[in-house]
Amino acid sequence: MHSDSSMTGSRRRSNRMRTVPLALVALLAGWDVMGAAQTYAPPKTADGQPDMQGIWQGVGVAYYSIENLELQPIYQQNREDPSLRGKSVIIEPADGKIPYQPWAAAKAKEIFDNHLEPTPKYLDPGARCMLHGVPRQFYNREFEIFQPRGHVVIFNMAHHTYRDIPLDAGPHISDRVTLYMGDSRGRWEGNTLVVDVTNNNDQTWFDVVGSFHSDALRVVERLTPVSADRIAYEAVITDPKVYTRPWKIAMPLERFKDYGTAELWEEACHENNGRTLELMLTR
Amino acid sequence: MARALLLAAAVIALSPCAPSAQAITRTADGKPDLSGIWQAVTTANWNILPHAAEQDIPAGLGIVEGGEIPYQPWALAKQQENYAARAKADPEAKCYLPGVPRVMYLPFPFQIFQTAQHIAMTFEWTHVVRRIFMNTPHVEGPVEWYMGDSRGRWDGDALVVDVVHFTDKTWFDRSGNFHSPALHVVERYTPMGPNHIQYEATIEDPKVFTRPWKISFPLYRRMEKNLRILEYECYAFGFEHDWLAPPQ
Repeated sequence: MHSDSSMTGSRRRSNRMRTVPLALVALLAGWDVMGAAQTYAPPKTADGQPDMQGIWQGVGVAYYSIENLELQPIYQQNREDPSLRGKSVIIEPADGKIPYQPWAAAKAKEIFDNHLEPTPKYLDPGARCMLHGVPRQFYNREFEIFQPRGHVVIFNMAHHTYRDIPLDAGPHISDRVTLYMGDSRGRWEGNTLVVDVTNNNDQTWFDVVGSFHSDALRVVERLTPVSADRIAYEAVITDPKVYTRPWKIAMPLERFKDYGTAELWEEACHENNGRTLELMLTR
Repeated sequence: MARALLLAAAVIALSPCAPSAQAITRTADGKPDLSGIWQAVTTANWNILPHAAEQDIPAGLGIVEGGEIPYQPWALAKQQENYAARAKADPEAKCYLPGVPRVMYLPFPFQIFQTAQHIAMTFEWTHVVRRIFMNTPHVEGPVEWYMGDSRGRWDGDALVVDVVHFTDKTWFDRSGNFHSPALHVVERYTPMGPNHIQYEATIEDPKVFTRPWKISFPLYRRMEKNLRILEYECYAFGFEHDWLAPPQ
């Protein structure tokens, strides 16, 4: 049932998605959404959207490296976590690795080899408080989903990032314009928010260790609320300049309950970052 | 021909002359709907006071009611010091969060999103965000935020926003007009029709000024078809990676 309706939606979508091969779209559409409970009926907003509003956080430790989750406890907490060994948020291809073209694999290795003692060019743009881009926005600490009429808006506390996802908003902007957060177009397929993100610039990384893309990046995201406190998140990533094939990440987003408040507050980053950068880059 | 004239007459009859008579857009709960993309058209970011033109700076009559800021004597001296050092000392030149009210008259568009519980403003300039939570008390201080803590309520058709908890690190303009963390701003957003909002703010800071003072200017709806808020990433310029490009 779900697969059938999904397939219809994906075929419709594929007419507009020039860079995702039809075969892959069909393949992905056949997959169950992370074992999503199809019985969950989310509440609706005033304009009839499935209601995902609130503060959320990506689950897991993808921030440091999306293709080797063990690196985050090793490098950030100075401890080993064998349960994460070999784990990746990349579910396609099956080896969990980014399918770089050879030149890009060499660049990625170069960044990785230099990331612990970075000169400016090996420094994670996130360390300069740059916008994290898509999809990294979702696994960098807490964020809020706000659903005013006709839009889904994402607010990040860190770096005070926001992204507007207008619903049924027509064609993307001119491809002469590139943006850190890209140009998002969303639509609801049943209870799944499908977002097509184009017009990305080449300045954002997927993680600390320099997993990168070019300005040909296109991300197609699917957000499906599977319970009151969980959203299944998936993204298909294409970039014919850098990868040999489209690849796909998946992770759960969980409602973030650590605050005794329903508000995200101001967290200035760049304003207080000067000394940190100085220390990082002049050791 | 007669039919065309009749149509013209009908159109005129449907178009009231006074802007205030134009229907304002309303949300389902009857409040003015401020959603959309807006922009101030002033020269206030250079100087909120009346000023003559300089090279690359247009002249302007300012946005301060009465054309004077009631500085305490020490503060007037400080403003003049700021002015002399403005090229480097202006927080905008450092790409810092610009504070309230300055963010409202930066020469960039911003978008308003609105529900009954909360109103969000997203600005093109360096992805600044304002969250205005409705009918809730300020967070308990002391807190110092660049953008302050905004709490909104409706007063008839006017959105009234009370803003406190500021830093001393934001200015009102490029001319060194400044405040202390004791700044208290009360904003009024009054819709004048579907495409205009009259913006008014009362500025209070007993550590810097001798009395409260007011600024006002209109916010205009940006009417371009398919307009989107884009990005002006102030502190990113000059730090772009340029070595990841694929081989040609």
